[in-house]
Amino acid sequence: MAPDPNSGSGSGAREEASLKVPSKDPKKKDEKKDEDLSDEDLALKQQLELYVERVQDPDPGLQKVALESMRQEIRTSTSSMTSVPKPLKFLRPHYGTLKAYYETMPDSDLKKYLADILSVLALTMSAEGERESLKYRLLGSDGDIGSWGHEYVRNLAGEIAQEYIKRQSEEAPIEDLMELVQQIVAFHMQHNAEPEAVDLLMEVEDLDLLVEHVDKTNFKRTCLYLTSSARYLPGPDDMLVLDIAYSIYVKFEEFANALQIALFLDNQQHVRQVFESCGDPLMKKQFCYILARHGVTLELDEEMVADDSEREVCQEILNNARLSEGYLTLARDIEVMEPKSPEDIYKAHLLDGRASAGASVDSARQNLAATFVNAFVNAGFGQDKLMTVSSDASSGGSSGNWLFKNKEHGKTSAAASLGMILLWDIDSGLSQMDKYLHSNDNHVIAGALLGVGIVNCGVKNDCDPALALLSDYIGKDDPSIRIGAIMGLGISYAGSQNEQIRSILTSILNDAKAPLDVIAFTAISLGLVNVGSCNEDVAQAIIFALMDRSESELGEPLTQLLPLALGLLYLGKQESVEATAEVSKTFNEKIRKYCDMILLSCAYAGTGNVLKVQNLLGHCAQHLEKGETHQGPAVLGIAMVAMAEELGLEMAIRSLEHLLQYGEQNIRRAVPLALGLLCISNPKVNVMDTLSRLSHDTDSEVAMAAVISLGLTGAGTNNARIAGMLRNLSTYYYKDASLLFCVRIAQGLIHLGKGLLTLNPYQSDRFLLSPIAFAGLITMLHTCLDMKALILGKYHYVLYFLVLAMQPRMLMTVDENLKPLSVPVRVGQAVDVVGQAGRPKTITGFQTHSTPVLLAAGDRAELATEKYIPLSPILEGFVIVRENPEYREDH
Amino acid sequence: MLTVSVKWQKQVFSNVEIDTSQPPYVFKCQLYDLTGVPPERQKITVKGGLLKDDADWSTVGVKQGQKLMMMGTADEIVKAPEKGPVFVEDLPEEEQVVALGHGAGLLNLGNTCYMNSTVQCLHSVPELKSALLNYSTSGRSNELDQTSHMLTVATRDLFSELDKSVKPVVPMQFWMVLRKKYPQFGQLHNGVFMQQDAEECWTQLLYTLSQSLRSPGSSENPDTVKALFGIELVSRIHCQESGEESSESESVYSLKCHISQEVNHLHEGLKHGLKSELEKASPALGRSAIYLKESRISGLPRYLTIQFVRFFWKRESNQKAKILRKVDYPLELDVYDLCSDDLRKKLEAPRQILRDEEGKKLGLKTNEKSSGSKDNDVKMTDAEGTSSASGEPSATSQEGNGSAKETHLTGVYDLVAVLTHKGRSADSGHYVAWVKQENGKWVEHDDDNPTLQREEDIIKLSGGGDWHMAYICMYKARDVTM
Repeated sequence: MAPDPNSGSGSGAREEASLKVPSKDPKKKDEKKDEDLSDEDLALKQQLELYVERVQDPDPGLQKVALESMRQEIRTSTSSMTSVPKPLKFLRPHYGTLKAYYETMPDSDLKKYLADILSVLALTMSAEGERESLKYRLLGSDGDIGSWGHEYVRNLAGEIAQEYIKRQSEEAPIEDLMELVQQIVAFHMQHNAEPEAVDLLMEVEDLDLLVEHVDKTNFKRTCLYLTSSARYLPGPDDMLVLDIAYSIYVKFEEFANALQIALFLDNQQHVRQVFESCGDPLMKKQFCYILARHGVTLELDEEMVADDSEREVCQEILNNARLSEGYLTLARDIEVMEPKSPEDIYKAHLLDGRASAGASVDSARQNLAATFVNAFVNAGFGQDKLMTVSSDASSGGSSGNWLFKNKEHGKTSAAASLGMILLWDIDSGLSQMDKYLHSNDNHVIAGALLGVGIVNCGVKNDCDPALALLSDYIGKDDPSIRIGAIMGLGISYAGSQNEQIRSILTSILNDAKAPLDVIAFTAISLGLVNVGSCNEDVAQAIIFALMDRSESELGEPLTQLLPLALGLLYLGKQESVEATAEVSKTFNEKIRKYCDMILLSCAYAGTGNVLKVQNLLGHCAQHLEKGETHQGPAVLGIAMVAMAEELGLEMAIRSLEHLLQYGEQNIRRAVPLALGLLCISNPKVNVMDTLSRLSHDTDSEVAMAAVISLGLTGAGTNNARIAGMLRNLSTYYYKDASLLFCVRIAQGLIHLGKGLLTLNPYQSDRFLLSPIAFAGLITMLHTCLDMKALILGKYHYVLYFLVLAMQPRMLMTVDENLKPLSVPVRVGQAVDVVGQAGRPKTITGFQTHSTPVLLAAGDRAELATEKYIPLSPILEGFVIVRENPEYREDH
Repeated sequence: MLTVSVKWQKQVFSNVEIDTSQPPYVFKCQLYDLTGVPPERQKITVKGGLLKDDADWSTVGVKQGQKLMMMGTADEIVKAPEKGPVFVEDLPEEEQVVALGHGAGLLNLGNTCYMNSTVQCLHSVPELKSALLNYSTSGRSNELDQTSHMLTVATRDLFSELDKSVKPVVPMQFWMVLRKKYPQFGQLHNGVFMQQDAEECWTQLLYTLSQSLRSPGSSENPDTVKALFGIELVSRIHCQESGEESSESESVYSLKCHISQEVNHLHEGLKHGLKSELEKASPALGRSAIYLKESRISGLPRYLTIQFVRFFWKRESNQKAKILRKVDYPLELDVYDLCSDDLRKKLEAPRQILRDEEGKKLGLKTNEKSSGSKDNDVKMTDAEGTSSASGEPSATSQEGNGSAKETHLTGVYDLVAVLTHKGRSADSGHYVAWVKQENGKWVEHDDDNPTLQREEDIIKLSGGGDWHMAYICMYKARDVTM
């Protein structure tokens, strides 16, 4: 016990002023034991005991004074949160006494007064689950809730949530609770505690209340919390939360944000409403850029954009007609216009001597690989060293020559590669493809048709040239020409839900004479065109086509594209799939489970639904009877569902590691592909290592899948490490033509668009999932499940489905006339600022560049100058910037 | 009459008039004038598809001022070249080998890697191959026993099969004959055939071949194997005690590289191996005495075989134990200082020519530095080794067609094959052959699995660890024509 000269007197310690001064120095020693109390603590304790006694005094006057003082003591001390406040601690032993006395008191103001105090005391005293704090709060006076401090309010909120659940189950009235909720929410919203307010409202299922309480200062943080918590909410709740966020954004006229949410919800009405409620024509152009990036097909009308010429400009942006131009501007700025040949990618000179011996004879397989590499690397640049070299060039590298250096169906891919090189450039693209349409070789014509489709990928045109050209060839006899035209239509009109195409293609499905490959590609094209539409007619058509297959056809790998097509219709649509899933139970058992897996994984793709991931994992854990193939899609399904958000993604990667160790061969073959999808265009080091290990697997199909996935994870990044790995693999597998082909494809993918493109279907800060891009990716990945039959067979052109996911990974700022404008921006690693106090930095480790710039996975950009104001909250793709009227140059 | 604007590639033709009373073909002809695209190749998109030549304008639904899009070019239509390229995939199997760049592998029949690696090394000697080809199946002379004949035939067949196929060859016939001829290779241990010493296999096989290929009918050359591999040695036997001296000459098929504490390099080992002590009865002393035998090379072969004496009989463990010591060997070996004086004189002139040639290749002036030629040490030639190796195949090719000019040996040799062993004793572990192809690339023949290797990695097989280490090296003579 600390000897204190003052303590001896015992009288002076009563005043509060004298309490405070010496209270600091004995702090460390206090509270060891009851007897260890310092003098002033002792005094306080005695004081409080006195109050407790007085409260039970029959004299109301004395009671009142005692309560008043007690309240005073508690209030002055609750400010600290590090330890239990002393008055509360000292009152602990008397909590029971006070409670007992409370019961005996007659109803009066004083009783309410005591209830208040008991409510606060219950904060530390009440047993778990008793909710006494809430009980006494409801019994007490309805004074200002915040006067007892944050901790009290927070505790109260927790008890309300529990009480709410209880009352819900008992169907008891909740009005009194809601009144309290009102108070608490208002308190939180005023005190920068938006997450707590939102949490409470979610617990009591009354988020609508939020709209009244947000104001200009806190709506952004509120909405940010709402949108990011939506990812972790089950069932309809997440939609509700986003709806609230949407209405808040609209209320505060943050239309661009509102549009993002409308797109997330896939709600056409909301999109329309955003257009209609926004009065700024420039903003509308920005909306069009956002919609175009997301791949939305939309016909603007007068209500959305009133002015005719404005509407024309907007529609042009929406049609992506300027994409090619912007992309080339970026390429010129970064100085990568120079075409690259496959040899520049292989870099065989770094492999000293061990590479394949003299290539005196052309290998069709390797030439085909070179065709793809060339297409991927020079995608969208409009020039290359194999296909577009003018035929009168004496070098001997004329396009005709390269085309015919491919064998049979290889020529299809070669002709189509021209479409990839001229990607998005309809004007010159179509005219360059034209000469191949007049070829006398069916494979070349098929390739040209596919190329026409690829050129039009993601770009719309009022004249619909792709439809006009391709529909002529769909009825031809030659199956390869038909497939070319069908696939071309699927790629160019993906996501458009075009009626005309639907009727053309469904009629093919009904054609009993059509060969299986035509049927399969028709179904996929239908799936792509109507992706996520839940269109029942199309679903019916595909289901009938699937039921018409003979027993032997059901075993073919191509048939497995039919369930995938069905799945695409329900991509991300969750419960809407259930009717079709029921129907699928009647399928032939050969395909039933396969279909089941595909439908499940497609419907919940990009939702992060943990229950579905567990369900799929359960299917992977079973040991199969011979001949079942559904585990491959189940593994892919895990990735499809889990890739929605970062946490689930990490967990999925870990689960896949386990599958690798314990799974059977058909699972192991799918795991690399799933990893590739999870980390698409985002080379994570741990995944890269796993894939690198698997690329030397003894099972050649595992190795092939791993090699392709290495390409996918590094797609468009120019990642030097993966490039090095692949170079070494090219020597390791120089004898194995199939694996070498995969290595080459992967090398091409790494340098996709010379590093300017990404395959990531997520955009807008990983918030929006483009269904079209995603559909393209999973189609390609599902065909990789049986590499030998499809990609290594004669259907290698399925690789071109990747074009649907290709997007420039750029930030391009344009001025009010939509002309490129160079603006300084900071680009750095994105930081999660959800729920953080104050105004935290959103990026870290940034560098300052001037636009246009490339954004890597996980990067975020912000303007480095106040001179301009961006019209989009998220700086990705095309962003219109407007001069800041308040900006003054300071020298 | 309507006016529309037509977009073609990046150009826009505005105010094109359409005479709706005429068929669209007329309109296309108008566009032909503007663009130069023939009407049959014009594709004009209208509602619901392409504009047909004979369509009715009223049904097409073109409006005043509408924008039409025309596709089509006047470009030449691509035609397939008359002669399509030839693809590897279409070639018959034997031609694919050429494209592959190396021979086929040999399947392991159960601890037969010693045999496989030996065969692969000897298979790389083209002269031996051609000599075997000339060996006729029937032409067995009487002095040759039946099994030797069979082994020779089996070797010939195996070699030709290796040249032909892409897939690994199964050397079953060869192996059976080999066991028949040399029953020690058929030793069983726990019911499986035992691992054998590759060097023994090598020696025995060469011995048999030398016997059979010597036979008069087979070839004009009296002894092919000896001409290819035989090394003539002259030895001076000297007894220090009595001062007696005698000399003898012998012919061997390989030089031994003895490995002792001082030996770090092949050259030192070879010198060591050419000196030996032996005990024999001395006529002068009337008792047995220690004689010192010093050998020198008096005749060089085209292919110099060097055996690293890595195995010695270890009595306590009752097995052939291995010396793991690292002994470096060069890609280019000069045995000049191991030669006898007579031979050195003969080599003098060809070596000068060789040096001049190399000098030229390096772009140096052929300065007459004959004085320095004597002490032309191995290290120096080592450095030039890589550049000269490339020119080597051309030199040997002349030898085959027997041109008027004669080829002369220079005493400089290039490494062409290495037989390595991995493991701790001769009767266990794994043998692998590393062979240089005619195109200058190295191939590792690990049984049925040939892989390309880098030249640097070949040098790394010198031992000093548990990795593969050279057991037998085969060098090929670099010769000059005079």
